[in-house]
Amino acid sequence: MTTTLEHTKTASIPQGGGLARRQNFLTGLIGGAIFAWLFWFLAHHFLDATSRTWSDEVAASVTLGWIIGFWLGIGALNAPGRWLIGKNNTRADDLYLAGQGQGKSRYWKFTTDHKVVGVQYIIMTMVLLGSGGILAMAIRTELIVPGNHFVNQQVYNGFIAVHGMLMILALIVAVAGPWGNFVMPIMCGARDMAFPRLNALSLWTLVGAAALLLTTLAVGSLTMGWVVLEPIANQAGVGMDFFAMAIIVFTVSTTVAGVNTICTVLTMRTKGMTLSRLPIFVWGAIIAAALGLYAFPYFSLVEAMTLMDRTFSTSFFVANAGGEGWLQANLFWLMGHPEVYVILLPAVAALFEIAAVMSRKPVFSYRTAVAGMTGLAGLSILVWAHHMFTTGWAPTLGGPFMLTTELISIPTGLFFLVLIGTLWRGNIWMKLPTVWMFGFIANFIIAGVTGIYLSDIPLDDQLHGTMFVTAHFHYVFVGSVLFGAVAALAFWFPKVTGRYLNEFLGRISFWLVFIGVQVTFLAMFASGLKGMPRRYSSYALIFEHTNFITTIGAYIIMAGMLVLLGAVITSWNKGEPSGPNPWHANSLEWLVPTPPPLENFDVLPVITEDPYNYGEELVRS
Amino acid sequence: MSIDTESEHAAHGGHDDGHHEPPEVVDGRQKMGVWLFIGGDMIGLSAILFTFLYLRGVNTDGHWMSMWGYTGHPYSYYYNILDVKGGSIPNATLIKVGPLSAGLNWFVTVLTVLSAGIIWMAERGLRATKNVKSYTTMAGIATAVTILSIVYGIIQLQHIPQIFTAHNDSLTMAYTAYDSAMMAVDGSVVIHLFILAFLGLGLTIRSARGVINGTKWYQARLVRLFWVWVAISSVIASLVTTTVNTIH
Repeated sequence: MTTTLEHTKTASIPQGGGLARRQNFLTGLIGGAIFAWLFWFLAHHFLDATSRTWSDEVAASVTLGWIIGFWLGIGALNAPGRWLIGKNNTRADDLYLAGQGQGKSRYWKFTTDHKVVGVQYIIMTMVLLGSGGILAMAIRTELIVPGNHFVNQQVYNGFIAVHGMLMILALIVAVAGPWGNFVMPIMCGARDMAFPRLNALSLWTLVGAAALLLTTLAVGSLTMGWVVLEPIANQAGVGMDFFAMAIIVFTVSTTVAGVNTICTVLTMRTKGMTLSRLPIFVWGAIIAAALGLYAFPYFSLVEAMTLMDRTFSTSFFVANAGGEGWLQANLFWLMGHPEVYVILLPAVAALFEIAAVMSRKPVFSYRTAVAGMTGLAGLSILVWAHHMFTTGWAPTLGGPFMLTTELISIPTGLFFLVLIGTLWRGNIWMKLPTVWMFGFIANFIIAGVTGIYLSDIPLDDQLHGTMFVTAHFHYVFVGSVLFGAVAALAFWFPKVTGRYLNEFLGRISFWLVFIGVQVTFLAMFASGLKGMPRRYSSYALIFEHTNFITTIGAYIIMAGMLVLLGAVITSWNKGEPSGPNPWHANSLEWLVPTPPPLENFDVLPVITEDPYNYGEELVRS
Repeated sequence: MSIDTESEHAAHGGHDDGHHEPPEVVDGRQKMGVWLFIGGDMIGLSAILFTFLYLRGVNTDGHWMSMWGYTGHPYSYYYNILDVKGGSIPNATLIKVGPLSAGLNWFVTVLTVLSAGIIWMAERGLRATKNVKSYTTMAGIATAVTILSIVYGIIQLQHIPQIFTAHNDSLTMAYTAYDSAMMAVDGSVVIHLFILAFLGLGLTIRSARGVINGTKWYQARLVRLFWVWVAISSVIASLVTTTVNTIH
């Protein structure tokens, strides 16, 4: 059996491509480095001629130079350039850009085929999770005993900020990136995404943003968490300029990806694929994309204003010149809470898909599932100030925001209803995706219930800023979203590679991560309940035991994730062959060959039924 | 999922034309894409105007349009006097700034609206008369008007007054909250104008080379959609920033 990595080797490389034939990740890096140096030189001589090598002006210019150079080097700006001079791509150009006949090298290029982009997102997610995970281990090692000096306090602060942001980026793309690209267009009956070049742009822009984010560790001096609160952010070192520009660039990536996802689903569905016949994962992807389109402009703006305060001496957040720190908090959390659901919804929708296939039943109350996801997205834009209960901003609005936050539990409850209802009395096939799905259900209950505690103002007054909050959102992101993401990986892995993800290693990984999550974060809840504040590099003796347990738990999670990485690597080329439809599913991605051909379908299908008629199938048989 | 590939295959006479979508299908998809980008841009504009109105509303310590600073010379000037001549640094005085020129603000906006009007008429003319030469000329004029509005936009940004002050324990120039908000609004307009100039130049070149013509005009329409939105957003921004800027 050939794999996706190999299948286009059989086709010849088309003649087109032009400049793109000489561009790849390496030329992107070189272009980025050259332009970063050029902008450093220009900024140093024209903006800041003082002896300081790394002023904020220079740092911001370098980051801008990096991303422009990276785009130029990788080939992201070829199409706008050609458009400007009145040239259109030929069919051969498009085929070359889609990676035809280029084997593994197309994974290192500005390739437009949605399946290649999907695989690139898988790799990117693993890189982001791995980087963030290493920082998490460093943080937990620092906290294993009080007064430890594994890293100094300034470095520790930087680790906290970059770990948080890396993990947020990783989880935003963990499900929507790989599977929103690889399988979603096929699920809709489309030949590709609506805008293939924008698809590649969103991926490589994310790479550029991640590089900036990781560079903050080298230039240092990040003194706040990933929320980059003012006025601390204004006083931080030049790492903050890299951080802010990384976020601005990242929001370009998510906006482009969001527009692409929505357009693909709304305009490229094949005949008969009505909205009520859409696989439920597609609903999750499109609702998350729409929510991201709403939320991320705030993120971009707040970081742009932080950068302006630092480089142009504006005063958005400087109180003695008429600015206000609460403005930053408002704009940030206008993005920050919807962003949680941009992360969560694709994972939940993937689990609905897995539950239906693995229990041989239709999605229980399909419309309730769609309503729950839509309701959650709608409510999520009305709850931002619950993050500011203890800041003193608009205390009279506390009641309404507490109410809207508690209302969130209704659509969240619908998710459990749909999942349990789908599994109820089903003929459950306990394979790897199902195992991780059950892990999600268990963890998400703890995440949800502790979230209700925190929405309550009197309790939030006591727990805000403590490790209890940290444990809560780690149950959301690690215990829930990560479990959903791994379930999705195990489920669609055979479609990407033609092989099963190693069941044995996958289960070992599951138990290590599942146990690790409980050990780590239940102990962290205990630290928080005792009053341990977040983001401190040392602590009082009263927190010693719970922190020791938390760190051991974190090591267990890391061991589990390494086993999972081993399973992915070994299964990719040497795993058990799975055939095109290993789960005997009905949705379109399983009905095309594995690996799917370049444009997915020889003949576009006409859909006559919904994808979950397993029950009827059984009755008929 | 039940599918029926046979009937679809037969309907196209055995040939799959899905690989070569009709232009109107591609056009519709791209139009939706532009509308979605405009939607995202609307959120961005509303966030910027929210910032402007929020800072004006809270008027922190009465400093919406004022700041403690040093007039006449930069802080470092006095610092040097202190070092060299043994003088003393004067006390910071409260410096007030007035609203920026509404005339210049509206001039940029009018230019943007004018360029949008030209590009709209050009597109309508192209579709009605198929006269590409006329379209090229008008797109070129719209681009030139946009470049002029960029120039005035930059002049507007340069006229935002700075105050010499101590800022984050360093000696620097700073902007009041009002000036900062104006810089965000005007800066956003200028960035959008740069995008319009790029698009306008592209339309001019493409129509001159015949890529856009009387039958292939859909890209002209897509650009016009965005151009009109930028003009509308410029009017909204000018309305807000010139009518509710001061606090009485």
